[in-house]
Amino acid sequence: MTTETRAIPLEGTQTETITRFDIHQRIQHIFLALSFIDLVLTGLPLKFSNAGISQWWVALWGGIEATRLAHRVGAWVIVMVSLYHIAYLIYTVAVQRKPFPVKMLPSLKDIQDFFHDFAYAFGIRKEKPLYDRYDWRQKFDYWAIFWGMPVMAGSGFVLMFPVFMTKFLPGWIVPAALVAHSDEAMLALTWIFVVHIFFSHFAPGSFPANTSIFTGKVSRQKYRKEHPIEYARITGEKLTVKDEHIADIPVPTEDDVK
Amino acid sequence: MKKLILALPLGLAVVASLLFLGSSSAKAEDENGCLTCHGNPGFTKTDGSGRVISLYVNKELVNVAAHRFIDCTTCHGDSPHNSNSPLTKLSLAEKCGQCHKYEYTQHINSVHGQQLKQGNSDVATCVDCHSSTQNPHNIIRVLEYNAPAFKKNISQTCARCHDDPELMANYGVVEKVYESYMRSFHGKAIKLGTYEVTQIDQATCTNCHGVHDIKSAGDPTSPVAGVDSLAQTCESCHKGAGTEFAKGFLGHKEASPDHVAPVYYAEKFFSALLVTVLSVGAVIVVSSGVRYGINRWRD
Repeated sequence: MTTETRAIPLEGTQTETITRFDIHQRIQHIFLALSFIDLVLTGLPLKFSNAGISQWWVALWGGIEATRLAHRVGAWVIVMVSLYHIAYLIYTVAVQRKPFPVKMLPSLKDIQDFFHDFAYAFGIRKEKPLYDRYDWRQKFDYWAIFWGMPVMAGSGFVLMFPVFMTKFLPGWIVPAALVAHSDEAMLALTWIFVVHIFFSHFAPGSFPANTSIFTGKVSRQKYRKEHPIEYARITGEKLTVKDEHIADIPVPTEDDVK
Repeated sequence: MKKLILALPLGLAVVASLLFLGSSSAKAEDENGCLTCHGNPGFTKTDGSGRVISLYVNKELVNVAAHRFIDCTTCHGDSPHNSNSPLTKLSLAEKCGQCHKYEYTQHINSVHGQQLKQGNSDVATCVDCHSSTQNPHNIIRVLEYNAPAFKKNISQTCARCHDDPELMANYGVVEKVYESYMRSFHGKAIKLGTYEVTQIDQATCTNCHGVHDIKSAGDPTSPVAGVDSLAQTCESCHKGAGTEFAKGFLGHKEASPDHVAPVYYAEKFFSALLVTVLSVGAVIVVSSGVRYGINRWRD
């Protein structure tokens, strides 16, 4: 891979904040989040239809027709956001040749960081790994959606148009789609509401919320701490990141910065 | 201000009349005063074989029953005390059939009715589905929300027998029909739906299996026998549904390697994925959470 390693001309490097996400990424995230919450709120009572609270909740919305409509509106919004993202991705990588979407590709370092982070959590290693633009958790969240969206949209489309889909697909596709839709939804919502919420809202420095995806901006100090390799690349600054608790984090080497 | 004061006694009058009018409850037609004796809970007779038979008719139930405006003698004859009719489920159905001729004809040719004619008292007849107390004095019309044959309640009414594994084993029905129905979108729509009359277009047992003319699923004349007639039944709601659409129905059974295998393997794959990913997620969150806690405590 011949990734350009030139410094990214991000605005705001001279002031206190660094622009991490552009307007498209922020719009994509907010619509993804809103449609996801809507889909969870209107989908869960269907999965747990026997629970008393589901019946109360659906009645509050105005009946199953209302939750079904809201679920379908959410479904089309999330599909549109995904298509917007794909178009954005193609444009930024192929036309603008920005390096940051490429930074999302998984690398060997992510696997190393994954074990490194465990070692840090269990006290075996004294320092955290040095992250680049995206850490392995963020990459996992991102690629999980790349797997989850086709599964959810595809199975949801089968469930939305079962008569049409069985014109050219075998009949078992409908019950199989129901299984896939139901289980993948549970996976996605549990991951988002446990892991994503934990690291984006309750991790040190993120409480009550890591606002960077909403404002697009991160303070230099925070950026230096959380994404030291990217920070060094942007600023061209040689830095010693002081681990706030245990030890000095080594200065990123030329190899790290690449 | 004066106008407002005038409105006060007017309002009181409206409220008082509402309370007064609302307090009168429905009374069953009882031309001959039958309930004077038969309204007494302890009223019984002992027949020739020494069996004690209750002659009690619950006033509260009969007051709200569908037939509250027809007199007792309509069903019990002009000299009810001389009647000595055999009290069986079949005689009961025949009695209903004197007026409800069409429903009776359908019922007697159904899988329930055919068994009834052979003297099988396990099977459902009129009162089993139309009265929540299986009592002919307490038939509730199907469009009343508390009727056992009201759309939202039908599956539970069928389940009284069809969700009893011992009873169903006698007839070779091994599928958990009620559970699998409630797991389906049809069942969920009924469960989450309201009692509003608009909900009567949701599918329940009777939409596919028939109502008074219900047939065994193994009977070739049943609307669910064979994939072709099943597809036609699907099409009564799902316009354009073909045989492939009908094949997507799991037949009230769980998927298994022998029965719609792709669905079975999809279940296995997605539960394995769910368990694996969430276990990793749990370990990540707990280990990181503990580390954050330790770091905070050290500060």
